Amino acid sequence: MTELGLLARFVHLSASIVVVGSAALVLLAGRSDRPTALAWESRVIALTRALLWLALLAGVGVLAHQAATLESRGAAAFELDALARVALQTRFGHVWLVRHGLLLLLAVFVSLRCDLRQALDWRAARGEVLLLGGLALAVLAAAGHAAAVEPSATAAIVTDLAHLLAAGVWAGALPALIMMLRAASREAGADARPYAVIAARRFSRAALTVVLVLLATGVAIAVTQLGSFGALLGTRYGRLLLLKLGLVGCVLAAAAIGRRGLLPRLGGDAASLGRPAMRRLAGSVAVEAAGALAILGVVILLSVAPPGRHEQPDWPLSFRLAVSAVTATPDAWAFVLIGSQIAVLGVVAALCSLALRSIRLPLLAGGGVLLLAGLAMAVPPFATDAYPTTYQRSEVPYQAGPIAAGGRLYARDCASCHGPAGAGDGPAARAFSPPPPDLRAHHAALHTAGDLYWWITNGRRAMPAFGHLEPDQRWSLVNFVRALGAAEGARRLGAVVEAGRAQIVAPDFVFAVGPTPARALRDYRGARIVLVVLYTLPASRPRLADLAARYELLVPLGVEIVAVPSDGAPDAIKRLGAEPRIFFPVVTDGAPDIVATYGLLIPGAHTEFLVDRQGYLRAVDTAPTGTERLLTNVQTLNEEKVVAAPPPEHVH
Amino acid sequence: MAVWKVVLLVDLALALGVAGGYLWWGRQADRLGRELVEARAAAAGPREFQAEGVIRAVLPEMGLIVITHEEIAGYMPAMTMGFRAVSPKIYESVEVGDAVRFTLAGVPPNLALTGVEKLGRK
Repeated sequence: MTELGLLARFVHLSASIVVVGSAALVLLAGRSDRPTALAWESRVIALTRALLWLALLAGVGVLAHQAATLESRGAAAFELDALARVALQTRFGHVWLVRHGLLLLLAVFVSLRCDLRQALDWRAARGEVLLLGGLALAVLAAAGHAAAVEPSATAAIVTDLAHLLAAGVWAGALPALIMMLRAASREAGADARPYAVIAARRFSRAALTVVLVLLATGVAIAVTQLGSFGALLGTRYGRLLLLKLGLVGCVLAAAAIGRRGLLPRLGGDAASLGRPAMRRLAGSVAVEAAGALAILGVVILLSVAPPGRHEQPDWPLSFRLAVSAVTATPDAWAFVLIGSQIAVLGVVAALCSLALRSIRLPLLAGGGVLLLAGLAMAVPPFATDAYPTTYQRSEVPYQAGPIAAGGRLYARDCASCHGPAGAGDGPAARAFSPPPPDLRAHHAALHTAGDLYWWITNGRRAMPAFGHLEPDQRWSLVNFVRALGAAEGARRLGAVVEAGRAQIVAPDFVFAVGPTPARALRDYRGARIVLVVLYTLPASRPRLADLAARYELLVPLGVEIVAVPSDGAPDAIKRLGAEPRIFFPVVTDGAPDIVATYGLLIPGAHTEFLVDRQGYLRAVDTAPTGTERLLTNVQTLNEEKVVAAPPPEHVH
Repeated sequence: MAVWKVVLLVDLALALGVAGGYLWWGRQADRLGRELVEARAAAAGPREFQAEGVIRAVLPEMGLIVITHEEIAGYMPAMTMGFRAVSPKIYESVEVGDAVRFTLAGVPPNLALTGVEKLGRK
């Protein structure tokens, strides 16, 4: 069933593409009165007609397959009700209806016999095939992976649309081109040879532009749909994409070699040069067409595979390349610099070989050797250990709840060796040589969250495996270790905001005030600066009174205050009492996790954390006096241009 | 008729169809919007809302009780704001920090607290 559905999609897409490409080639070649050219043109139109009906038929199969997939029962493919539901109620269905309406209109139009002796009529009729076919193909972009891109799908759809149309003009024109070259290379087709030579040259030139568009849009689509470098090798989508790239490379190389040798000879003497060259060019284009067909097959597999950005990449190699690996080793830069210079020298030598024909081969070989040697010297310093989970995203957000949960696990399972604060100084640490590493240093730069997850799962050196913990628990531990790193950074933050220095992500948290629904620190992103106040009664009461008195000034300055009782009391508001009158949120639900996480960053009885609109921690004040400093800080943040992109939801 | 004229007519018909469909859709959206406004206007007159919240301040001298409340469906989003109470008894029945379920009644936007009922501590 699935195979049949994929086959229907393949046939449908290939036919739609050939319709567009054939029309484009006919227009490129122009009108001719030569009998062979006329015969070719009518055969192309006949092919178009046949393909349109085939596309319509396969399209019904695609709809049936979609119905069976959506309702997860094979029988739905044969029920009119189910087909109507898919066609009328889904986005896929709407796009399907529009496309098939256009294809049907085109099929009827192509089936009409009409008199095209006037140049204007000819151009209108052939142009209409390209217009309607192109529209039908372009609409396909609105139902693909591009339509699901967040937050704005428009750019992705336009890119997809350009990719589809370019593919149509290039790959779709190949069958018609083969037919023309074959016809004109025969003895009887001599009358159309000049026509075919011009058409082949025009197509060759157009194909260059079109292939460039294909490559550019293809790269853009790949970047959007993969989301990360790890997804290229680590997901099915990424590997299919690599396969497609490989095929594209082969086809382009074959096409380039074929055209370069054969195109100039086409115009030569018919019997000895021109006709054999044309026959061989037809063969070369046929190879290209077969390659294009294989690429379309991969495209169909890609179109039904979940995009790499939605998958957890499973990294297949035992290493990865990272710039941070070079910065971590002192002497590595020297190797990188010298190696890259040697490689550049190799490239220059290879380029020179193009100009110096007499010593081309030795120069090319020497350049190649230099390039390889340079790369062999420059690349290894970038390599660092990698594991299957290296590029996986945390399944647990970087949030106070999971961090606190990770902290509890850490205290139970890890602190005895790694030390209570991650310094590697736990009571059992002395038994190990080398000692457990300092978890607070360098980790952000050198190891991904997925690396840490792998070590926790499988152990490392003397460390035992903790694979028996639930995946969520292991990711929580990773979050906690990241928070340890953030704590190191937070300690270096002062009470005064430094403009432009936004590095430490304020861990997100969820809280509620009384019986109102829970909200999150994230909800203030892009809207408010948040002052998170960890307070302890009664010492904090005067400070809270200060803040309450200033609240009506702070609100129009774009500040929200969130007060968190350090004892986590659910009746915190009652305990604050009627005086001072406090109108900013006081956390009554969720406080213990916030206190555990923010207390880890900076311990203290009363601490104020200033979080900017992007969600970065910008200042920490453990002994606030008056509101002057707070107002200055807010002023600095309000005057600052946006300095950093908002942090992602998960640690990396 | 010449082929180019036929093609032009077909294309024009397509373009008109797309434009017409777009306009029709826009008019539908307009009509729905108007209906919504009418439905809201029809709902005018005395109304009653209920919501949960927590008392932040009791200010009888200003005639206000300040409540941090959840979204009041059909009236206002979640926020902290002051409400007028219809009876002085209500001021006496609550204190700061009480989790409450309250009732607002009147003709929007002139609403007043008609009832405040304490929620059991969760």
